[in-house]
Amino acid sequence: MTRSHAACIFLTIVAAATLAFGQGQAYHPLGIDLAGYWSQFARQQDVGLGTAAGELGDYGGVPISEAGRLSALAWSASRLTLPQHQCVGYVTPYVFYGPGYFRVWEERDPQTQELIAIKMRPYAAMPDRTIWMDGRSHPPAYAQHTWAGFSTGKYEGNILTVYTTHIKKGQFRANGLAQSDQATVVEHFIRHGERMTYFSVVNDPVNLDEPFPKTSNLVHVPNDPNSWTMPCDDGEIIPGQPKDRVDNYLWGQHPFLQEFVDRHKVPLLGALGGPETIYPEFAAKLADSNAADAAAKNRLIPAPGPSQPNRAVDPDPHDGEIHVLPVQGNVYMLVGDGGNIAVQAGNEGAMVVDSGAGRLSDKVIAAIRTISNKPIQFVINTSFHPDHIGGNAKLHAAGVDPEANGGNLRTFADAGVGATMLSHLNVLKRISAAGAVAPIPAEGWPTDTYTQGRRRKLHNGEAVEIFYQPNATTDGNSIVHFRRSDVIVTGDIFNSTSYPFIDVRAGGSVRGEIAALNNILDKTVSWRQEGGTMIIPGHGRLSNEWEVTEYRDMMVIIRDRVQAMINKGAPLQQVLAAKVSADYDARFGSNSGPWTTAMFIEAVYTSLKQ
Amino acid sequence: MGRFVLFAGTALTVALVTAGAYGQGTRGAVPQPPPTAKARAPFDMTGYWVSMVTEDWRFRMITPPKGDYLGVPLNQEARSIADRWDPAKDEAAGEQCKSYGAANIMRVPARLHITWENDQTLKLETDAGMQTRLFYFGTPQGQGGTWQGISKASWEFDAGFGLPAERFDRFGTQVRPQGGTMKVVTTRLRPGYLRKNGIPYSAEALVTEYFDRVTEPNGDVYLVVTMTVEDPMYLSQPYMTSTSFRKQADAARWNPTPCTSR
Repeated sequence: MTRSHAACIFLTIVAAATLAFGQGQAYHPLGIDLAGYWSQFARQQDVGLGTAAGELGDYGGVPISEAGRLSALAWSASRLTLPQHQCVGYVTPYVFYGPGYFRVWEERDPQTQELIAIKMRPYAAMPDRTIWMDGRSHPPAYAQHTWAGFSTGKYEGNILTVYTTHIKKGQFRANGLAQSDQATVVEHFIRHGERMTYFSVVNDPVNLDEPFPKTSNLVHVPNDPNSWTMPCDDGEIIPGQPKDRVDNYLWGQHPFLQEFVDRHKVPLLGALGGPETIYPEFAAKLADSNAADAAAKNRLIPAPGPSQPNRAVDPDPHDGEIHVLPVQGNVYMLVGDGGNIAVQAGNEGAMVVDSGAGRLSDKVIAAIRTISNKPIQFVINTSFHPDHIGGNAKLHAAGVDPEANGGNLRTFADAGVGATMLSHLNVLKRISAAGAVAPIPAEGWPTDTYTQGRRRKLHNGEAVEIFYQPNATTDGNSIVHFRRSDVIVTGDIFNSTSYPFIDVRAGGSVRGEIAALNNILDKTVSWRQEGGTMIIPGHGRLSNEWEVTEYRDMMVIIRDRVQAMINKGAPLQQVLAAKVSADYDARFGSNSGPWTTAMFIEAVYTSLKQ
Repeated sequence: MGRFVLFAGTALTVALVTAGAYGQGTRGAVPQPPPTAKARAPFDMTGYWVSMVTEDWRFRMITPPKGDYLGVPLNQEARSIADRWDPAKDEAAGEQCKSYGAANIMRVPARLHITWENDQTLKLETDAGMQTRLFYFGTPQGQGGTWQGISKASWEFDAGFGLPAERFDRFGTQVRPQGGTMKVVTTRLRPGYLRKNGIPYSAEALVTEYFDRVTEPNGDVYLVVTMTVEDPMYLSQPYMTSTSFRKQADAARWNPTPCTSR
């Protein structure tokens, strides 16, 4: 008898004895098994709120903040005609509150059989979802968001508890009630035999005033529903629709708000939602209908007072280090020194877009060396603002451009010395303006400038296009498109952290900004607004088409509000007092620092008056 | 071979001892009375809770109009009864509590106060409607025919996998699984309403509930109640709903109010 035979017999005896004398049930150390097919049960609970439903003006029972309510009150269903809105995905947890079904399966290590992840495939509008069970950490705040978000889970007895971050902006209800991209979600999957209770708690510092708990019911389905795709392709629904048109309602002018109220005999105060509506005491507030109606009318417009402070997470680590985030293809995003820096690596040399604020340039150069064994050959500036050119001189000095050291160029003493610095001509003009103190040393000034609409390069085997975006945040903005990697670097035209810094004195304008955002959207491709063309913003997290879409929509909506007041002859102070950006301030605004909400609104107003 | 026999024999002995300890605990010790339901509770439900009215909001927070039965699988007979709903008639008959019975009470916007009535009975009181439910882990008391009927309770630890209430590790130490569920089956109800606008349930209704407790990262504690109502007289299929309650620090907003029919 071999040792292995003996070991097998030993294990068999142990197992048999345990089953014979134990409880007759093997303890499932991980908790419960959710694998299989699950379906919403007959849509009994919240049947009127399911996918693609949700009556306009029905926000009751959701603890929305003022921003959440005002955002919903501005929402027009016509927005769904825009190409970028036609195939949007569903976020966690909304996807569990619509009709449909889910497939759940486990991913285990093939050798150890340790549970690595639980996977979920919803019927509609969300790619496969992964719930990591192996204890890994969540990504940094500057990583991209997805519809499903990034989820980690653990079993707590008969409950699978899941924590999710990095979720795109989505919806609480399909009637404009939005869940912001700052939301995090805790979910509990509670199995009771053949049924499962789904309990989620959303924490959204922007659009909620307090956590939003909600339940749903699923039942186990024995057979494969065999329908796991929902085709969608955006098309031209309104031929000739201008790109800068995003239908929205001015506050106080929602034409359908009363329909829900009248049809279901619901007091408007309740229909408008808010934290008080989820508590039993709210019923008593409705007893005095006159007082309730008066209170409701006050909630159709922003409350007077200062703008809401920004409640979004700052994605910048602020730790004095440079963080490298692989984007896709050969392109990387460097975070930590003011504006984001993009790096394309390859055999010919690194191509860098923007140089940051210049406070951590040595670390930037060191970080670039970790992803490129070739020197920096090109540095492109997307604007002249100091948080994008501050490191120019050091990056220039650290680089070399072999192409500039050939032919007749050799007659110049500095031919090929240092990286070649590119930008639109107006960037050089702004930096070198007569009489002004130059923001950076002359060594870092752009010397290879362009004036036409497009500058192109074939670098590292990749087509790279630099597009001029006139009068966006300045008169010298460029975006850079790495075509094979499918990455667009936007500079300050798109920031995920703040309103765009429209520098009216430097030629910026809200019209140019909207046009530039639409130009970016003309170049992006995605599947259900997920993946595809990746966007490196001037500031903030890695993004894609959806975030630019939401930003464009915001700019158009705020422009429309300001323009409407200008048309009525409102002076700037009146526009500021009207808080025309009240639904966005908690996400993008600021009441202090170099770029406040008031400065932004003034820039919009001023450029529209020009 | 001789060494193997010795080896296998030792293994069998170890296995028997291990299995015995795992399955029976302190075999050979003085028999102990079975632990009470209170002692076996996998989690603490006692205290004050407030309902989070975030599901079916317009049917729960506001009395829906007559004829609005969306989501309830009522049959034709039930519909004809509901269409004749007359709250004034209920008031005149002293039946204002028809929508506060066990088949709907957990959906009523309310605060709960949960205590142990005794070691085998959990008591749940509501401020709205001032109802009292008794969940009997032992022999139920009473004959039923009341708004809250007769509720039989049990602890379930495994959600369908049949884990024992207690088990013992290989050292004989008692191990209590995490999580757990309280299952409550309620029968012998006085006929009432599934919603305030007169959707009926009959005395034949069977209400099955699961009570689960979860704790959020911010420290909030929720009680999640999952309910199925089966009524051969008025429902064409089981009616499934779920509701959450958040734990309260104290009785600060406890406000007993009588039933209302409107």
